[in-house]
Amino acid sequence: MSQAAVTGLNGLSYAFILFMLSAGFSLTFGVMGVLNLSHGALVVFGTYVGLQIIDSFGQFWLAVTIAAIALGIIGFFIYFLFLRRLHGRVPEQAVLTIGLAYMAANLILWVWGPRAQIAHTPEVFAGSLTVGDLHFPLYRVFICAVGLVILGLLWWIQDRTRWGAIIRAGMDNKEMALSLGVNYPLVSTLVFILGVALAGVAGILGAPILGVYPTMGDNLLLLALIVVVVGGTGYIQGTMLGALVIGMLDTFGKAYVPKAALFFAYIVFIFILLVRPSGLIGRKVF
Amino acid sequence: MSGSSENHQSLAEMGAQASKIAAGRETWRVRGSLGITIGVIAIIILVLPSFVPTFVSSLVTKMMIYGLFGMSLNLIWGYAGIPSFGHAAFFGVGGYTAGILILKAGISNFWLNFLLAVLATAVVAAILGFPAFRVFGVGAGATNPIYFLLATIAFGEILSRVAIAIRPVTGGSTGLAGIPEPALGLGFKMTSGRYYYLVFVVTVVCIYLLYRIVGSPYGYALRGIHDNERRMQALGYNTWLYKYTSWVLAAVFGGVAGILFAYFGGIMHPTNLAMVTSDIAFLLVILGSTTVFFGPLVASLLYVGIEYLASLYLPDRWPLIFGAMFVLTIVLVPEGLGVRIVRGWRRLFRAAA
Repeated sequence: MSQAAVTGLNGLSYAFILFMLSAGFSLTFGVMGVLNLSHGALVVFGTYVGLQIIDSFGQFWLAVTIAAIALGIIGFFIYFLFLRRLHGRVPEQAVLTIGLAYMAANLILWVWGPRAQIAHTPEVFAGSLTVGDLHFPLYRVFICAVGLVILGLLWWIQDRTRWGAIIRAGMDNKEMALSLGVNYPLVSTLVFILGVALAGVAGILGAPILGVYPTMGDNLLLLALIVVVVGGTGYIQGTMLGALVIGMLDTFGKAYVPKAALFFAYIVFIFILLVRPSGLIGRKVF
Repeated sequence: MSGSSENHQSLAEMGAQASKIAAGRETWRVRGSLGITIGVIAIIILVLPSFVPTFVSSLVTKMMIYGLFGMSLNLIWGYAGIPSFGHAAFFGVGGYTAGILILKAGISNFWLNFLLAVLATAVVAAILGFPAFRVFGVGAGATNPIYFLLATIAFGEILSRVAIAIRPVTGGSTGLAGIPEPALGLGFKMTSGRYYYLVFVVTVVCIYLLYRIVGSPYGYALRGIHDNERRMQALGYNTWLYKYTSWVLAAVFGGVAGILFAYFGGIMHPTNLAMVTSDIAFLLVILGSTTVFFGPLVASLLYVGIEYLASLYLPDRWPLIFGAMFVLTIVLVPEGLGVRIVRGWRRLFRAAA
């Protein structure tokens, strides 16, 4: 039982990391119809920038902030220079962003070298939380808290703010939104930047758990797209649900049937495609 | 959604242009000149090994394999309008099956091996086709193909991870090494010099078959689905079946490329199933033009050349160059080299007349 509780927390924190990783990806393609396959590589880039800051200044929060800002700036340029012109042309977007992903991964290798980086949990969260005779690693609890805050924030933006309304309007009918005088280009650029910056935060927070190596971008991208397809897009709660399913399944799978665990996420993915292609909670697109 | 419909329209125009070429509405002169050019290129490729060093003929072998790989993807992307991003799944399944049959099952005969590997690829494609076309929706331009792209990326990546996981069969993350020269039977001794001709023959046969498929009523139905799927449905076509069979066909030809590749390098690696390899096919198609039949072949000439130069001078920066090729293609030649070449070709012959 105690084992299950700790595994549960691990699964939950992994799910929140997955959620933060995928939220940006899901936002950009589910809401704006922009496929950004360089998402994984950008996360890795943000993580390396963050780790560099930790190395140089030893400031965890500074690292998170700088990683988010750096990725936000890169995201702005990618969107402004390239993706803006490729609206609705998905194969072209895919080709372009996959090219950027390769370039980013190789630049990371060039600057920081091929070795895996060691990311320590920040000292503030080194201990563990004791409830009864159970010890929960504090850092995992912290990740869950941050994930909850971000989930709440995105949910609030989506459902309660003018921005959310504009995004939803743009998703339904971009021309109509534009002709009503809504500054959709501005909002979509900001959403793209937000998504990429969020991924930077996820990368640096998840680093002590996921590990950090230059070629991990592909793995992160695969995880993100499985989460997004399983959960469904268009709603932030869909991404969270997908992350929960995949995170829990993977963690419990690894704890109890380590050999088969690798395939659980894939089996769920194929199953969802067959049975409910729009995802668990997704807009009906088909 | 206007962007998408705009794109659809321009694609339709390009498709119509390509159909015109294939339909033979151009003059017989252009057609004849095309035939002569293909013949000349074929003869050059045939006599090439006698005049150039071995590494060049090895590069040409690679070019033919990648060209076939790209053209197999173009069958579904350019003609049927299905941009699959996981085509390496079939390339890898073909190659891995051939390798496993030789090394683990002891089937050394090339032809039997080839047949079984093609069969395996077709079976995998037939299985994956069901979930894939669940998310494709109706009409490439009508709905967003994002989900289809995501699903197909995941197929390749998942198969690659499966190949890493089942080490006893596939050799795990180090790959399946030591695939011998193909044994053609009848006491024929295969060398790497002779393998060149085997690849040539198989590639030519496959390209001919692809050409016949594209030019058949079936191929025109695929183009019709690309342009307007609902209209095709209204005309009584079972468009799902057309898309599904074209997916399996493309997979089979991609698998053939994979089999040739396995014998060529003597090794299959999990990355041959993954995105890295799918992206090569993707680049070849977009660089070579989705609307030109021989486009991917032309692009593969350029690609293999650049890859070779990069391996000589900047081996560490190859992914950077590879990535830059994608970005430059989209920025500089979004319509692809094939369209440019066809345009130049026509101008040339109009000028000559």
